Amino acid sequence: MTPPDTKKPTSDMSWLSRRLLWTDKPEAVNGIFYGLIAICLALAAIDFVIHRHTYFDVEHITFVYGIFGFLVYGTVVFLAKGLRVFIRRPEDYYGTHATDSEPEDLAGTESLLSQKGEPDV
Amino acid sequence: MFDVLSPALVYAGGAALTPFILNERLRQIFMLTIPVLALSLFWNLHEGTYAVFNLMNMQIGLMRVDKLSFIFGLIFSIAAFISVLYAWHVKDKLQQVATLLYAGAAIGAVFAADLVTLFVFWEATAIASVFLIWARRTPGAYYTGMRYLIIQISSGVILLGGIILQYQQTGSLAFDAMTLGSFSYENAGTWAIFIAFGIKCAFPLLHNWLQDAYPAATVTGTVTLSAFTTKLAIYALARGFPGTELLIYIGAAMTLFPIFFAAIENNLRRVLSYSINNQLGFMVVGIGIGTPLALNGTVAHAFCHILYKSLLFMSVGAVMFRTGTSKASELGGLYKSMPITMIFCIIGAMSISAFPLFSGFVSKSLILSAAADQGQFWIWLVLIIASVGVLEHSGIKIPYFTFFAHDTGKRVKEAPPHMLIAMGIAAFFCIGIGVYPQALYAMLPYDVDYVPYTTSHVVSQLQLLMFAGLAFAMLIRFGLYPPEFRSVNLDFDWLYRRLLPSIFRGLARMIERSWHAMTRLALYRLDRFLVVVYRAHGPQGPLARTWPTGSMVLWIAALLGTTLLLTYL
Repeated sequence: MTPPDTKKPTSDMSWLSRRLLWTDKPEAVNGIFYGLIAICLALAAIDFVIHRHTYFDVEHITFVYGIFGFLVYGTVVFLAKGLRVFIRRPEDYYGTHATDSEPEDLAGTESLLSQKGEPDV
Repeated sequence: MFDVLSPALVYAGGAALTPFILNERLRQIFMLTIPVLALSLFWNLHEGTYAVFNLMNMQIGLMRVDKLSFIFGLIFSIAAFISVLYAWHVKDKLQQVATLLYAGAAIGAVFAADLVTLFVFWEATAIASVFLIWARRTPGAYYTGMRYLIIQISSGVILLGGIILQYQQTGSLAFDAMTLGSFSYENAGTWAIFIAFGIKCAFPLLHNWLQDAYPAATVTGTVTLSAFTTKLAIYALARGFPGTELLIYIGAAMTLFPIFFAAIENNLRRVLSYSINNQLGFMVVGIGIGTPLALNGTVAHAFCHILYKSLLFMSVGAVMFRTGTSKASELGGLYKSMPITMIFCIIGAMSISAFPLFSGFVSKSLILSAAADQGQFWIWLVLIIASVGVLEHSGIKIPYFTFFAHDTGKRVKEAPPHMLIAMGIAAFFCIGIGVYPQALYAMLPYDVDYVPYTTSHVVSQLQLLMFAGLAFAMLIRFGLYPPEFRSVNLDFDWLYRRLLPSIFRGLARMIERSWHAMTRLALYRLDRFLVVVYRAHGPQGPLARTWPTGSMVLWIAALLGTTLLLTYL
């Protein structure tokens, strides 16, 4: 959801893709963001209406699932970011003993097939 | 010969004939009929054990049909069909034969009534599947395949050892529920079987073969690989070790740790491999709890998981097929080129994230409810945390970084029609099961009355997922979400891929150096000794000198004189 790539023409896109081009616009991104907030608020409000069937006491806390989901998501991302500091290595770290730094075409992609002279699919 | 033909033999026969069908279109159609034909063999069979015979005093049963084996046989057949269809364009006979043999071996193992048959098919899955990695035909794939094969074959060898010990102890080869107990000489066999299952199931610290091997296979090979091996292990654990408490904790650990690795992994096929690990954890917890509800949950989750995981692997594979990469750092904005693939990917993502009306919701709920029913609060909590983790890497990261995010300007064609059909079938099941779960529930091993769509359940799940989605949106908005880099991340396999080899190299160098030092020292000492000997015995040495005869006579006379003198003293 970054600024649209204006260099590329949109006319050769499929009908479905053109219907989604609006997602590239900054105002649409804002719209999605505030829409998501609205959905979350609506879901949170349901907690006042329904009587929840629960297994554990902790589930009785209002908004508990929402708060939990929000916090856990953030925590997972930040912990993973922290983990990356220790475990990130260059792509060729394992050298020729791994496929990480090999051209991915060799896994049987379209360009490999066309190099072999096989027909388009 | 047999009352019923084993589906595995149909696959093996099909694999044997495949290379001889020269017309490519005809070969593909022939391959597509194999899963259908094999399925028709057991579709209408009543429960019981068929193809029973005696081999060297061992009671062998190739076809045990009950609800547990049937549902795994069914989903493996569907997965085989989808895999073959997805690989319609592949002309490599090696991959085609390997796919059929691999699927057949997995189905053969599922129907095995005895441990010997299980062992044979267990090893066959390992040997057949490695060719899907080697089919890439690069040095990296060769080494990765060797690592994969060593680990998989080790699992088989440990299984064989376990079977022999078990046979010695109990005199039975039947593959039924076993009691693990605490480790002792008497039940060493059971433990060996448990560990063999654990290796294939990618238990924590035994898991690295999965993330190592699956992204190394071919575009189509990874889709095939993702369906069988680990779910065969789930079947084996569900059959052999239901209600083993240890599995609850192993499973909980499995759900949790991969979510951190998946969040920062750049290779999307490796992200999905970590995700397999996490999903297997849910199933393992279900087996550990062992109640009918939990076991139903495990089986249902395995069924749904194969479908949505195949779907995700297929969509990432289709992107890789067209763009030539599966790395998040190189992708983005592909909704402009591959919108149908995007829709299928999102269906897979919503299924794995357990959105209501998608398959993951109706299967994962069973396991979560089973954990809560047993009062397992902490396990339940871990599963909830893991569910948010799933949303993070499989639900959001994969579709977002592939089809949206930063537009890399890649403009490619939509996925080929056969790939879209294969994805469409999987997507149909993902939604179909989510909307009408009764169809799946009716096939589960136990009769349990369970209603997944209750108001509180749906609302709770939606709150959890949407607020987590909001967290993602905020992290992106404020630039806090970790960017994707071209890199690899170390995992436990660093131990045997870097540390142990460098220790061995260090030891080898040390031994070489001490050998040189010792030989140098020994040669020096030998030289010194030879110099001394030379000094005494050499041409100029005192011992080599020539003496006149007269002096010798004089010395003899002196000696005799002394002797005479001493005699008379």
